[in-house]
Amino acid sequence: MKISKPDTQENTLLVGFPSNGLVGTFSISYLIHHLKMKQVGEIEVADLPATLFVERGEILGPIRVYSKKNIFIVISEVPFNQYFAEGFAYAVHEFCQKNGIKKIVIVSGMGAVNQSKEAPKIYGLVTDQILESVLYNNGIPKFLEGSIFGVDAAIISVFRKSKIPALVLYAECHPFFPDPEASIIAIETLAKILDIQIETQDIQNRMEKLRIQYRNLMEETIRTLQHNQEQGKRTPQIYR
Amino acid sequence: MKNNDFEFKITLPIITPLLDDIEQRILSPLSCLREYDNYWMVEFDLPMVGKKNIRVTFNQNTITVEAKLREKYSEERLGKITKFEYFKKSVLLPGKIDSKKITSKFEKGRLEIKIPKKTDGTSIKIN
Repeated sequence: MKISKPDTQENTLLVGFPSNGLVGTFSISYLIHHLKMKQVGEIEVADLPATLFVERGEILGPIRVYSKKNIFIVISEVPFNQYFAEGFAYAVHEFCQKNGIKKIVIVSGMGAVNQSKEAPKIYGLVTDQILESVLYNNGIPKFLEGSIFGVDAAIISVFRKSKIPALVLYAECHPFFPDPEASIIAIETLAKILDIQIETQDIQNRMEKLRIQYRNLMEETIRTLQHNQEQGKRTPQIYR
Repeated sequence: MKNNDFEFKITLPIITPLLDDIEQRILSPLSCLREYDNYWMVEFDLPMVGKKNIRVTFNQNTITVEAKLREKYSEERLGKITKFEYFKKSVLLPGKIDSKKITSKFEKGRLEIKIPKKTDGTSIKIN
């Protein structure tokens, strides 16, 4: 899909999809709503089972593209298994190439069992040194150790071989329940990176209701993540 | 970032399916059951609930949580609005447990119940 949108400023793509704590879903949806972004298209992933949403009589695809000025957003309403994660990552990359995207920022959650009582923390991981300064200038600590699987891993794998740099924001969140509180730190961090003002009071007021509203998506996401994790296990033959 | 912030679990958690009861206006909360060396940890997500309105009961190896919502939660399903008033869910524990040592805490709308395992194994002599 090609969108005619040349801009003097650097085009930035934000990506959100269901993952731990639904951090990407909450934060990216909130940005679309808060910045009053317009839907400009949809992305298709080959072989993805047909899924459509109907909102006020309007038919919507599961992976949509929004834009405003130099900010683009790709949001998926459905979680992906390992197979579709790769297709999604390549589709996002193709979109970037066709639309002159200079950097992408992915918002995800990092499941932490022993969450501190303080505000959740956020970490950043970059595929290119050029984005190290974004972490440094915005006081985002680097994600230093751990394993990544699923959609995050698929996107990182594609973009680390690409000329388009990617930054992944990992907000500490509850590993199995929707965590709008963690998404607030992600929204605030995105606002700093994009140098825009975003008021988070609205999401703060709705946190408890969001946790109920998104129970089914969270359950579906966890099942998909577990499946990905089980598929990703590589036990040496001798120990099987 | 401390390493012990992250989970070192024995098995993947068991996520029990959600089955809301529209007739009785009861929501099924998200829950997860995780196994550790010496105990089970069952967690329930109970937003819009006060600590005093939670009731936990235990029968043989099944733990049941019931809670009244602070206010009614409305949701439209198939064109019909349902006003839910309660959360309720039962979780079956897969192993023997020590019911006298169960502890729980409720923070940020999440109920954690720690259930120690019962150990009655016999030791094996090594020749």
